[in-house]
Amino acid sequence: MLSAMPRRYELLPIVLAVVALGGCERRKLCNAPDCGTLVDAAIGEPGTLLPASTEEITARDVEEQLFLKLADVGMSMNTIGDEDFQPLLAQKWEWDGPLTLVFHIDPRARWHDGQPVTAVDVAFTFDAYNDSTVASPYRAQLKRIASVTARDSLAVVFRFRERYPEMFYDAVYHMRVLPAHLLRSVPRDQWRTAAFGRQPVGDGPYRFVSWQAGQAIELRADTTFFLGRPGIRRLIWQFTPDLGVAVTQLVADQVDVREQLVTPAMIDRVRTAPQVKLYPYAGNTYSYLAFNLRANGDTSKPHPIFGDREVRRALTMAVDRASLVKSTLGDIGKVPPGPMSSLLWIWDPEIRQLPHDTAQAARILNARGWRDHDGDGVRDRDGQPLAFRILVPSTSVLRRQYAQLLQEQYRVIGIHVEIDALEPGALQQRISSGRFDAAILSRANDPSPSSGITQTWTSAGIGGSNYTRYSSPEFDRLVDRAIGAASRNQAKQLWRAAMETINADAPAIFLYSPGNMAGIHGRVDNVQIRPDSWAALLRTWRIPPDRQIDRDRVEP
Amino acid sequence: MTAWLLRRLAASVAIVFAVVTFVFILIHLAPGDPCIVGTGEGIPDPEVCRSLVRQFGLDQPILVQYWRYLAELAHGNLGYSFALHRPVRDALADTLPFTLQLAGAALLIDFGLGLALGIYQALRLNRLPDVVLGNITLFVYSLPTFWLGLILLLLFGETLRLFPVGGAGDPILCPLVDSFYCLADRLWHMVLPAATLGLVGAAGTARFQRAAMLEVAQQDFVRTARAKGLPERRVVLRHQLRNALLSVITRFGLTLPFLLTGAVLVETIFAWPGMGRLTVDAILRRDYAVVTAAALIASALVVAGSLIADMLLGFADPRIRVRDDAFVDVVTA
Repeated sequence: MLSAMPRRYELLPIVLAVVALGGCERRKLCNAPDCGTLVDAAIGEPGTLLPASTEEITARDVEEQLFLKLADVGMSMNTIGDEDFQPLLAQKWEWDGPLTLVFHIDPRARWHDGQPVTAVDVAFTFDAYNDSTVASPYRAQLKRIASVTARDSLAVVFRFRERYPEMFYDAVYHMRVLPAHLLRSVPRDQWRTAAFGRQPVGDGPYRFVSWQAGQAIELRADTTFFLGRPGIRRLIWQFTPDLGVAVTQLVADQVDVREQLVTPAMIDRVRTAPQVKLYPYAGNTYSYLAFNLRANGDTSKPHPIFGDREVRRALTMAVDRASLVKSTLGDIGKVPPGPMSSLLWIWDPEIRQLPHDTAQAARILNARGWRDHDGDGVRDRDGQPLAFRILVPSTSVLRRQYAQLLQEQYRVIGIHVEIDALEPGALQQRISSGRFDAAILSRANDPSPSSGITQTWTSAGIGGSNYTRYSSPEFDRLVDRAIGAASRNQAKQLWRAAMETINADAPAIFLYSPGNMAGIHGRVDNVQIRPDSWAALLRTWRIPPDRQIDRDRVEP
Repeated sequence: MTAWLLRRLAASVAIVFAVVTFVFILIHLAPGDPCIVGTGEGIPDPEVCRSLVRQFGLDQPILVQYWRYLAELAHGNLGYSFALHRPVRDALADTLPFTLQLAGAALLIDFGLGLALGIYQALRLNRLPDVVLGNITLFVYSLPTFWLGLILLLLFGETLRLFPVGGAGDPILCPLVDSFYCLADRLWHMVLPAATLGLVGAAGTARFQRAAMLEVAQQDFVRTARAKGLPERRVVLRHQLRNALLSVITRFGLTLPFLLTGAVLVETIFAWPGMGRLTVDAILRRDYAVVTAAALIASALVVAGSLIADMLLGFADPRIRVRDDAFVDVVTA
């Protein structure tokens, strides 16, 4: 008979009948203390597991287990300096002058094929990430590193173009070290489709086992891992195309982890499952109502409504963001104090924002000539109604809901809003070509405020991710100074000033930053979740022997 | 028959070619850049995008891309997936069997259950079982597939925990179907999605079959058979059912497209790793090569299904079989 059979299998007559007909199957049982199988309900399947070529979320989670960085950010999420970073592949490091950083690789580190990890691998990795043919999404983040060279087999030297507070962060956070001996022969223009990406050989706590297309990726603990044997022996990412189905699988005890429960309704559903524990952690996204400051479809002219700073301020004051968050996200959402998620260390509720004040909003609109002259309930000026359209992706229930709530709040003060729900590709094209009035958009942050805020809100981002085309020399100057600040305290003050500047100019209404809630099977112990990457510390999780269930004991 | 078959095959190739051309142009004209769409709402490094677009030949005019696509297709190459980072042929080879398994099982439910119910109802015309089943089949037939799928998932998967909630197999015990146990596991995982896809069709087939049986029952040859004193079982099976099957065979040809399009929703709801799910993801990510190849395969399957249905009809109906030249006209009339 099947020696290890999950409880739910015993319920199924069909299975038993066919097993009886087809003969029984004997599987070994695991009795070791590190027995354990963790199944994650992953939304979407990665294209490749070659870290330089992808930034998909599931790929990143799996790569966390397969490929090491030299060091990684700590739980504090402090990206300035190097004191809060945790060594991984690098045993230690030292500064050799203001622009030179030397890492010493742990001599115990090995690739899963037995080859030692060397400084040559690190230099090779930098070269690959920096090669435009490889088309790495992280290339832009490495532009301030001039070179990476191997000093000897275990010492690697990073030389920077300039001195700035996040030099160490840039050196270690974006790159996962790759095996030069396996990838050197692969032509760079074929990296995206390289066989290595579907059968990777890494140096991390877990080894790659299998990838069933459309179904699952399986990893197994590397018992010889030089930083200590992982606590759980087997990891499986089971692909699910739909978040609702993933939550149902968690509630039905068919998977162990769903790292993001997006809505209060999902959290409430998971609360009904006694076997699941909830773990809150900081979210890395924020959403905003972006105003197009240039005319819809014609970037040479200002937008007739949003080109006016005072009108934008009035539109911001007319929205009760706190009640919107409460009604849509409950306790898991917050009103962001600027364009940032709660992941960022610059998050500060004391940052000055425009208040919710509909009376003041109405006064401003009256003063700017937007009055209801014809008594139809909609303000107008020179015969033009105060009306605009909000674009939302049709795939986001939350953003469509937000658009409807905004529509209602604006109706009360005489502003007519229409909502266009577009397929994401169509939405992307409309916003990137400037053919929109307003849109509810979302952005994800990595732990550093520098790159995301620069790309989306400074003048440098116009033509890229700065869809509002907001351009403020004062804001740009403050951001530049914050990025180059000598200390964390000084940087925080400068970021605060920058945020208050953008809040006052109101190129967008910063609506919500959802916190994250992970649902994880209660038998899993020592769960630590780093907000920027829930799976970063997976190797420290464990399942105590007395809590193991049938699926933990199945030998692969 | 041979001439007819050759004509139909030529027409089938033309239809598939037209579908591929139409889809190729349509997906390329759809708004959205494959380099950007897959990356959320941020814009990737423009140089990275340019490099990728160049590597995949997407910087060429659409006609050049189309010509290259046809040239590759002539060599059996379906291209490389922009989003999946692998040959489209491999991606389809992984997913098509799952869709065929699901569609096959759904077809079995559709026609197995539908025919049985239709015959049963016709034999108990206007009696309680007929009335009850008539209402039930009408109710099921009017259900949207995705809604039925969600209800089955929540009831039998989450609440009663009798069937798995999604997936094509247990990833812990059966990453591959390499034993009878894993075969059973695959079948078990298929029950809910196949039922979702098959039940609505079965309700339609039952109503179709009931009507066909009743229509044939009025025919002279059935009355004559009864008057000759043939046993009722023989009258029903030999005379009534055989003739009533003709309309169901026509329905079989029409069901295949429904199963393939229905599979898109069902595969998403039940996380079934089939071609439908692959296609939806590809459309959302503007993965041109995968979308076009999926359209190619789907249209080929639909055309093949229609061809098989017409041939079955010919075999089942002697009136069509005898007139070789007029075969196609009779069938398509």
